[in-house]
This record gives sequence, structure tokens and C-alpha cells, in this order.
Amino acid sequence: MDAFSNFLTGTITLFSDPLGIAIFIGGVLGGMLFGAIPGVSMLTLAAILLPFTAHLSAEHGIMLFSVIYCTGVYGGAITAILFNIPGAPENAPTAFDGYPMTQKGQAGKAVGAAVMCSAIGGTVSCIIMMLATAAIADWAISAFGPPEIFALVFFGLAVAASVGAKTFWKGWLSILIGLMVAVVGLDPVGGIARYDFEMPYLLAGIHFIPTILGFFAVSEIFVQAEKKATGAFVAPKIGVEFPSLKELLAHKVAVVRSIFIGFFCGILPGIGATLAAFMGYNEAVRWSKKPEEFGKGKLEGVISSETANNAATGAAMIPLLALGLPGGALTAMMVGVFQMHDMEPGPLVFINSADLVWVVFAAMFFANLSIIFIGFLETKTIINLLRIPFQFLAPMILLLATVGAYAVRGLTIDVVVMFLAGVIGFFLRRSGYSVAGIVLGLILGKIGEQTFAQAMQMLHFEWSGFFHRPIALGLLVIGFATLAGSIYGAFFKTKPPPPTSETPA
Amino acid sequence: MGNLRTGHLVEGALWLTLCLFLYHYSFEFDRSIEIYKFGASAWPRTIILLMAIAAIGQLLHHWKYGDATSSNLISAAMDDGSEEAAHEAHHESLRWYLSTFALLCIPFVYMRVPDWIAGWMNAGSTTLHILRLVIAAILIGVFISQARRNMVGAILTLPLFFAALLEDMGFYSLAPFFILGVMYLFHESRPKPMIAIMALIYGLLMLLFVKVLFVGLPVGNIHPFYDIGSWVVTVLQ
Repeated sequence: MDAFSNFLTGTITLFSDPLGIAIFIGGVLGGMLFGAIPGVSMLTLAAILLPFTAHLSAEHGIMLFSVIYCTGVYGGAITAILFNIPGAPENAPTAFDGYPMTQKGQAGKAVGAAVMCSAIGGTVSCIIMMLATAAIADWAISAFGPPEIFALVFFGLAVAASVGAKTFWKGWLSILIGLMVAVVGLDPVGGIARYDFEMPYLLAGIHFIPTILGFFAVSEIFVQAEKKATGAFVAPKIGVEFPSLKELLAHKVAVVRSIFIGFFCGILPGIGATLAAFMGYNEAVRWSKKPEEFGKGKLEGVISSETANNAATGAAMIPLLALGLPGGALTAMMVGVFQMHDMEPGPLVFINSADLVWVVFAAMFFANLSIIFIGFLETKTIINLLRIPFQFLAPMILLLATVGAYAVRGLTIDVVVMFLAGVIGFFLRRSGYSVAGIVLGLILGKIGEQTFAQAMQMLHFEWSGFFHRPIALGLLVIGFATLAGSIYGAFFKTKPPPPTSETPA
Repeated sequence: MGNLRTGHLVEGALWLTLCLFLYHYSFEFDRSIEIYKFGASAWPRTIILLMAIAAIGQLLHHWKYGDATSSNLISAAMDDGSEEAAHEAHHESLRWYLSTFALLCIPFVYMRVPDWIAGWMNAGSTTLHILRLVIAAILIGVFISQARRNMVGAILTLPLFFAALLEDMGFYSLAPFFILGVMYLFHESRPKPMIAIMALIYGLLMLLFVKVLFVGLPVGNIHPFYDIGSWVVTVLQ
């Protein structure tokens, strides 16, 4: 009953404040729109808005970002489905089946499924979060120290490396590139400059927003340019046909499974929705009677990925608010909003700013519900973007990405970094590497190194310390088992190549 | 040599060279930290070691299986056809790579050479600005002459060149030419639609980011670009 009365109080506070309502509506529409426009994402919008939140109250600022997070994760699915450009890493698995569905003329059905499942996943996640917040926060605070978080990052990377690239080795190389990029700048313990090449810009590290924009949006334009040059570019077919209730009910098991996967992945600090989406998709493939149909335009792929990533949004707020650990790029920006208001996210927020927490939870609940109503209306408009010839869309995407990269810090070098990342992403993609892996490595690299250093200091540099911490040990064991399984698969389960006329060197 | 091809060997050699370079550079910051016995270089060196192992693993994979894809279904689903497009366009030849690399050098020449020449001449800021304009004009000429021969190389270079010129010439002056350039490289050559779409995109961006969101975009440092950028901002805001 406490949770319900707190939720009611949060709802009344939210909807009795005209400015709060305006920010809520602006966040819902802005998140969906920026998530859906190719080349920009909710991260771009959040980056543009971040400096302006200094003029808002902490409650309004955090609420705005949490609403953008919910609707932006859904919005990112639209670009993943229609253009094969995931709005964020958590939408990457949605593109696996969503884009082939678009190419088959089933874009409407894929987007319709994303609308329904995003709303269901997010709303259910919010309800569980509200009912279980206190217990989960208490458990997380007591059970998760730096060794556990490091083990969790390792586990997440081990899983992510096994998917997404052409081979297991290319998956790992992609992750390792991301980890290496994260090393650039000052080291987290002693503040020693690494790989700065005596350039002041590199001392602050390479920012993840230009990198994400470059690897996802810009490299996609380059790939399409090459396809256009070779005549391989195929304009996607347009179709507006939402899935029937019967079709959705046929996938109810996938929805429930993905809600559980999404929620539990989302609650794990530092990983959140990205792993949720990958695992939701992976489990759908594993449990399917026809796994060979995945990747070729199967509705269940979109449903599993979108339910899981939106189910993670509610849960991802728990590590942020309870431990001060961002679950991803947008929650990392929320830490910035807290800091601009002289607040630190962490356990004290639940005690000192309970009002803020419940207004945010209420806003997230209604934002997820609004996806159903606004999402359906918006989608019909967005699908028409497909009618725009790519030669007219490409400059728009590149310029929006330019503004997004520049708006983060007001540095033109960020624009150079973004386009450079686009060029590197282009060459890596055509060689079978995974850009999603690179970005995941980049985001988790900093958290991984920092928590590893803290863990080793905490354990007095004794590796055996991990054996006395069951959660950390369990996660490390599962991570190593995943790794071992992938190495075995890479050497013994790969299909031999078809005979070619090319002469080996 | 199993299923190894020259491309696989080059790929493996590139990875291992990168590992060697990164390892060599790690000695620049190989300092101890009082409260952390592993120091600043242990983490990056571990990544480099894993990178080398993965590169060798990749080479062994190529030796045993050639270009075969992992049996992982998600890996297969990630295939977006970019490799196939590159193969069909014959963009895997050494000649294509060299031509693309030469084009990609253009933005970096602009970012470095004017400063080197100005430093060598002991020139002031006015001379440096003139130098930048002259070198930009020469490089634009080189870019246009080469772009027709390697359209994909040109589309990779154009955004980087645009970004390199952004600081000096500003977003407001460069964006219309950039829009036209991208459309042309995407094989659009009808002047009327090109100009109409350019005006539409430019107008929408100005309206959204300058008029509504007040995002400060680079106005440029050099006359007359700085004046044009400032004028656009004054008119819109």
C-alpha cells in the first residue's frame, strides 16, 4: 500500500504542476521524435537539453530525462526497423529482424509490434519497480560492491562478444577496440594521461556521443553510399499493417520471458537495456522451434528485443538512484543533471528526495503508457519517411549528426571524431566487425577499469578475494563459461566455407 | 596455407602492428601509483594482450575456415550486406584502397599544413587566415578532380573535410555546399530538386536549432565566413 500511495502522490504532484505537465509532454514527444529521426537519437536530444536543465528544478530535470529515456528507447526501434540504424545500442537486436521485415514490405507490422511491446515491457517494468524498489535497493546496496560490478561488466562483455560480429574473434576484437578507446584520457586511479599523443583534447577522453553517432548513423550512410554505387542499394518497401491481437497473443510467452530478462538485466548496474535486448533476442532464438528463421524478418525477434529493452528502462533507474551507477549513456547524463543541482545519486536520494523519486517513477509509468497512443499515431507519419529518396535523406542525417556531436561540448573536434568513427565503422563493418560491440566496450570500459581498481584495492590485491564473494564468483564463472563455449564453437562448430574459385595465398 | 588469402594476412598484420604500437606507446605512461600497485599501464596492456590473442585466433580461423561465418545465428543476422557490396563493386583492390586513403588525407592536410607553413614563415594571424583560404581552395580543387574517379572514397572524405573546415569557415556558410555535395555523390544531378532540397534542409535546421533551441553552431574564424555566420544568427535570433 505504501508504494501505491507514494505512486498516487507522485502522480498528483506531476499532474498538478503546469510546468511539470509541459515538460512531461515535451519529453514524450521529443524522445519519440529524436529516437525515430535517422541520424539522431534520444542521446542527441538529451545532450542538447543537458545544459538547459540547469534552469529547471532537479525534479523536473530528472523527470524529463527519464521520460525521454522511456520513449526514446521505443523511438530508436523505429529507425532500427526502417533504416537499419538503431537509435541506441539497445535497439541493435531490433534491427536484426525488423529491417529484413521492412525489406519484405512488413515495416508497419514490425513497428506496430515494437509500439505494443515497448509499452507493455516498460509499463510492467515500472509496476514491478514501484512495488519492489525498497527491497531491491536494499539488496543491491548490500550485495553489490566493486568486485560484483566488475564481474558483471566482464559477464556482460563476454555475452556481447559472442554475438553481433561475423565470427567470435571479430566480436572480441570489436569489444577490445571499444575498451581501448575508453582507455584514452586520464587513468581513473592516478590521473595519469594515457594515449593522449600530447593533444589536450584527448586528455578528457573520447566522448561517447560523437563515437556512437559515427559508428551507427554515419557508417550506415557510407554503407548505403557503397550499395548505391554498386547498384546494390534497395529502397525499402512501404507497408502499414499493424499486427493483430491474435498475432501478439501468439507471442505471449516471448513477451513474458523478455519482461523478466529485461527487468533483471536492467537492474544490473552498468549494463542495462543493451544486454537486455541482446539476451531477450538470444533467448527467443534459443527457445524457438524454428531458430533458422531469425535474422530473416521474424516478428518474434522484434517483440523479444523491444519488450526486453523497454522492460530494462524502469529497472535501470534502480542502480542509478540506489548506487549512483549509470546503466547506460542516458542514465550517465542523468548523473550530470544531479551534479548540476549539487546532488549525488545514491542511497541518500531515497531518503532525502523521496518526492523526486516518486514523481520520476510516475512520469515513467505514464510515459510508457503514452507510447501506445502517441506511438501508433506517430508511426503512421514516420513510415512516410521511407518515401524520401536516400540522396535527400543522407545530407539531412549527416547534418543532424553534426549538430548532435557539436552540441555536446561545443567542440568542432567532436565532429571530426564522429566522422572519423564513421569511416572506421564503415571499414570495420565491411570486414565483418560489430559496431555495437565497439560502443558497448567504450561505455563499459571506463566502469570496468574503475571498478576493477576499486575491487583490487578493497581485496588488498588478493585475487582469491573473488572466491569469498559468491555473486562476483558466480558472474565470473558464468562469464568464463560463456567465453569457453564461444571459443569451442569458434573452432569446432563453424561451418566449413563453400568451395570458391579463388586461389588461396 | 590452408584457406588463408592475402587479405587475411594483411588484416592479421594490421592488428598485430596496432598491438605493437599501442604496447610500445604504453611505456610513455608506465608509471607506478602509490595506492594502486598495478599502475596506469596494466589495464591497457591486458587489453593489448587480449587483442593480440584475438587477432591470432582470427588468423587461425581464416586458416581453417577461410571466410566462413560463425554458426551463431545473431552473428549471421548482423550481416547487412556491406561486405558483399564491397566485393561486387571491386572495392577490395589495393588500387581502390590507395585512392581512398589519398582522398582521406585531404582533411588532415588542411588541419596540419597551414599551421606548419605559418610556423615556418613566422606568420601572423592574417597571413595564417589567407594561407588557410588558399590551401582550402587548392584542396577543394584536388577533391573535386578525384571525386569522380572514386565516388565512395569521396563520400567518405566529404564529411571529414566539412568537419575540418568547420572551425574556420563555420556551419552556416558551409552547410549548403555540403548538402549539395552529398546529394551529388549519391548520384543526384538534377539542379532544381538539388537546390530546392538544399534550401528545405538548411531552412529546417536553422529553424529548429538556431531559432527554437538556440544551439550555438560554429560561425567560423575567417572573413567573410565569420560575417555570414554572425549575420544568419542575428537575423534568426
